[in-house]
Amino acid sequence: MATVQVSEAEKVYILHGIRDDLRVDGRGCEDYRHMEVETDVVSNTDGSAKVTLGHTAVLVGIKAEIGKPRPMIANQGYLEFFVDCSANATPEFEGRGGEELGTELSNTLYKVFNNQHSLDLKSLCISPGEHCWVLYVDVLLLQCDGNLYDAISVAIKAALFNTKIPKVHISSDEEGGKEIELSDDPYDCMRLDVENVPCIVTLCKIGHRHVVDATLQEKACSVASLIISVTHKGIITCSRKVGRGSLDPESICEMIEAGKRVGKALHPPLMKLLQQEESLGNKRQKVGFLG
Amino acid sequence: MLKSKTFVKKTRSGGVMKVVREHYLRDDIWCGSEVCTECKQDSAVLQRDACIESSLCPYPHYLVPDTNIVLRQIDVLEDPVIRNVIILQTVLQEVRHRSAPVYKRLKDIIHEQGRHFYTFTNEHHRETFIEREPGESANDRNDRAIRVAVKWYSQHLKTAESGSDGLKVVLLTNDQGNKLKAEENGLVVYKFDEYIKSLIGNPELVDCLALSNDDKNEVTSSKVLFPEHLPLSKVQAGIKSGSFLQGTFRASRDNYLEATVFVQGEGEDSTEVLIQGLQNLNRAVHQDVVAVQLLPKNQWVAPSSVVLQDDGAAKDDNVDEDEEEKTARRATGKVVGIIKRNWRPFCGMLNVSQIKESTRHLFTPADRHIPRIRIETRQASTLAGQRIMVAIDGWPKDSRYPNGHFVRSLGGAGEKDTEEEVLLLEHDVPHQAFSQAVLSFLPKMPWSITPEDMAQRQDLRHLTVCSVDPPGCTDIDDALHYRELENGKLEVGVHIADVSHFIRPGNALDKEAANRGTTVYLCGKRIDMVPELLSSNLCSLRSNVERFAFSCIWELNHKAEILKTRFTKSVINSKASLTYAEAQMRIDDASKNDDITKSLRGLNKLAKILKRKRIENGALTLSSLEVRFHMDSETHDPIDLQTKELVETNSMVEEFMLLANISVAQKIYDEFPESALLRKHPAPPPSNYDILIKAAKSKNVMIHTDSAKALADSLDVAKVDGFQYFNTLLRILATRCMMQAVYFCSGMDSDFHHYGLASPIYTHFTSPIRRYADIIVHRLLAVAIGADSTYPDLMDKHKQSTLCNNLNYRHKMSQYAQRASVAFHTQLFFKTRGILNEEGFVLFVRKNAIIVLIPKFGLEGTVFFDSKDKASPNLVFDEEIPGVSVPVPEAEPQAKKQKLDR
Repeated sequence: MATVQVSEAEKVYILHGIRDDLRVDGRGCEDYRHMEVETDVVSNTDGSAKVTLGHTAVLVGIKAEIGKPRPMIANQGYLEFFVDCSANATPEFEGRGGEELGTELSNTLYKVFNNQHSLDLKSLCISPGEHCWVLYVDVLLLQCDGNLYDAISVAIKAALFNTKIPKVHISSDEEGGKEIELSDDPYDCMRLDVENVPCIVTLCKIGHRHVVDATLQEKACSVASLIISVTHKGIITCSRKVGRGSLDPESICEMIEAGKRVGKALHPPLMKLLQQEESLGNKRQKVGFLG
Repeated sequence: MLKSKTFVKKTRSGGVMKVVREHYLRDDIWCGSEVCTECKQDSAVLQRDACIESSLCPYPHYLVPDTNIVLRQIDVLEDPVIRNVIILQTVLQEVRHRSAPVYKRLKDIIHEQGRHFYTFTNEHHRETFIEREPGESANDRNDRAIRVAVKWYSQHLKTAESGSDGLKVVLLTNDQGNKLKAEENGLVVYKFDEYIKSLIGNPELVDCLALSNDDKNEVTSSKVLFPEHLPLSKVQAGIKSGSFLQGTFRASRDNYLEATVFVQGEGEDSTEVLIQGLQNLNRAVHQDVVAVQLLPKNQWVAPSSVVLQDDGAAKDDNVDEDEEEKTARRATGKVVGIIKRNWRPFCGMLNVSQIKESTRHLFTPADRHIPRIRIETRQASTLAGQRIMVAIDGWPKDSRYPNGHFVRSLGGAGEKDTEEEVLLLEHDVPHQAFSQAVLSFLPKMPWSITPEDMAQRQDLRHLTVCSVDPPGCTDIDDALHYRELENGKLEVGVHIADVSHFIRPGNALDKEAANRGTTVYLCGKRIDMVPELLSSNLCSLRSNVERFAFSCIWELNHKAEILKTRFTKSVINSKASLTYAEAQMRIDDASKNDDITKSLRGLNKLAKILKRKRIENGALTLSSLEVRFHMDSETHDPIDLQTKELVETNSMVEEFMLLANISVAQKIYDEFPESALLRKHPAPPPSNYDILIKAAKSKNVMIHTDSAKALADSLDVAKVDGFQYFNTLLRILATRCMMQAVYFCSGMDSDFHHYGLASPIYTHFTSPIRRYADIIVHRLLAVAIGADSTYPDLMDKHKQSTLCNNLNYRHKMSQYAQRASVAFHTQLFFKTRGILNEEGFVLFVRKNAIIVLIPKFGLEGTVFFDSKDKASPNLVFDEEIPGVSVPVPEAEPQAKKQKLDR
């Protein structure tokens, strides 16, 4: 993980600030940094989104491909995650440096998103046991400035919202052989219901308190953090502790409560933004990567 | 400005892929009109006074046809009257996608300077590009794109100062919806036939109009004659599941109610399905790719042995099925769907309708595989007696004949030029003059051999080389030499014109030659594969000039066994070009003892040994009748005719050519096992020999067909006393049992055997002037001996194999064309002769006709027993005994007559 060197004096400064609910950049403990979301940024994916959170920037692309359903769940499609920690983000990722982090991130994402509660996986099924849509979610880290999980989860939600899966229908002949037929209209496509897709909130334990959306400096002061995924109704679908230190049960409860609150508040503005963007249709001027 | 085009497509593995292409829009695409002052074009294509006299549009106007107009009415667009047409890129692309031949024709028109056809790249023009909207089909989008472009044009030309003279842009479409929408947008729009009919000066164009689907044909009886074709999706599903078979439809020449569908199976096992009866044929036309369904076994039938010509009504039903032997029954089926039509324009004659005022007439194609076609024309009286070209537009299910339209007239029937044109067109022989691009690759004249050339080649000018060819031959591609070496051995060289020196791979000249594939020899005319400068001059190994050659030189002992083989590029100077007869005379004339004569004798001696060895190995000596015409030098009409005679020298040259071909084949195969171009002649399946065995049996002669050797031997002993011609007749029949020899690429096949020559490997090396295969072989050999460099396509076995397919096709067609030309000249010959009596032989016997061969003229014809005016003589039909004795009707339509059989 990208790290910064923080001296003892700086640590104390950060720690004391947080104790007084005043962080280095002026935020309160439960405030996010400035966030920007743009969808449909990569034209050759089926859905894509780019999210910047402070200086953290991630790009998510979703490719839908036809695959075979998992044997145990024949009537559902599934998601596959791959996180690419490019050396663009930080020199530490060079070579195979980012691999471990990538695996860790994708494992978490898999737990959070690939279940029937988050996404209607049944709608991805084309013909039970034979064909289903597999969504390959590729996450590319463009810049790391802390709080990757939250940024990635927002980007995934936005990209899922943006995903357009071509409509197919199965025609079968008398012999029982099945044939997938494709509509020739590129606008004839299926959208996913992202209402229940959770967002991840990372809470960093710093001193006796915890903060959301920790910067790298703050992260350096923390020994452990808690990751929870929260739906728009405030339901927690997944939680995980990361970091070497330990958390006492009391503060875990506190952190979960805080996480719920923050997470629940995160959804409505995000959805509003996405719908607004969608309604602009083709006329929207794309910002892309140069904006 | 950058846009992207997105579409999804299915991959071969069944997946779905999203494809995104970048699409750039520009603002420097000019409108191409002389009127326009805004566009900075160098030369405008569209004229200022674009006048086609039309009662609908009295003002000057440009035409914009939509895709369907171009696809269906290309014959009209080709007419030189139609000028100043804007072809939109949208249209061009769609045409290209839908029909390659029409696309090519359209491109040809566009390139013609005087036609003023302008291609407007509207898809890349900033103001005329449109994106597909949600819920819009691809076709609707294209229609809209066309309308947007027309709109842009009319506004663009209006603003350009010349508003007053009222230049307008006229959209032509037959699509009702499109037309309405265009009218809403304020565009000038007409239906194509409306517009063409309004042309004041050119009423004949109306005949060329293709019938569109919506004008229902009143003449056709309302009863449905044919079952509906299944939709393509069902057909494909059926083929996948195996309930239908896909194959090429081949109509029978002799019986219009019968056809076979050739179903290509896995590897070697391909089957033929018999189709009988109009209903079952279901509007399929010769060479269409169709889907057939097999009938239940109890409805299977045997191929009928009746010769039936379509005379119109009456006999619409199946041929009466009488006592058919169960054994002869074959897999029978019916056509359920057409996968791909293979219609081309057909040449033929118009049968003028009996009703005087009628504008609908039947057209009889020259090719007897093709059904009659109904066309609409007002010029019937002028077209009667002319050879015309007609294209099929469609075949509705309630019509007895397909509907078509007149394309063009080729000239009076029976005239030599017209008939020659017909047979070239019918056999798909490219016979246009060579284009400027092709000619530009010819060497500059005067041409001479440079010292650099000499340095790369062996100087063989001192050798006594001579060539032996048929009389009148100007494209001499082979020459021979013979000398005794100091060590007592013999040296023989075959020198072949070095065409590959002049034709470099990949240029226009090379491509043209590869497409033509072969030179076609018609009676009194030659359609060259390479321009005349090469074929008759620079490459031709004429006497007493220095020429480049590719030489194959052997050292032989006196038993004609090869001791050494050597290939080299060389320069030779032929000492004499002889005809076969001249060479023969020299050999026979004991008084002559010059170098050339001595060489000829030496060659002749060796050739005899070679030939004997070859025959011992089981090579077949087959026979086919070839006739020569003596042409009148002024009128070019045939004045006499004789069958070709073979003299010893023919086979002398042939032996050495075979030897060279085999040596070269071995060499290139050793060097390039994957990409050598070879020629094989597969052994025919045993069933092919049936007719031969049957014919021989009638005279109690046994023919063994187990191997080439057995066949050759039994043909040698098959003789009947007092019937000398019998043996030749059998050989003629044997020739017909054979398979076609074909070119192939060694990397794509494992069976190399040449059955007829009994050689394990064979290729064509000796006639590069008239066969493209030889050029490729030359290149391969040149690379093998390090005399030339290679290029990628030469080593690509897939490309080679596509090339082989084309060469095989061209080769086959050129043979057919040659035969047709001979047949035509035979007709010309008999036109003036009146009734003759000649000896003839019955080749096959059918139920109501016999096929007769007259050896003197090399003529084969069908003699019907039941002429229209006479009752048919009582006959007993027995297929087993070819040779019934019957009185034959005296007057044959072709004014030739046969005396029958012994």
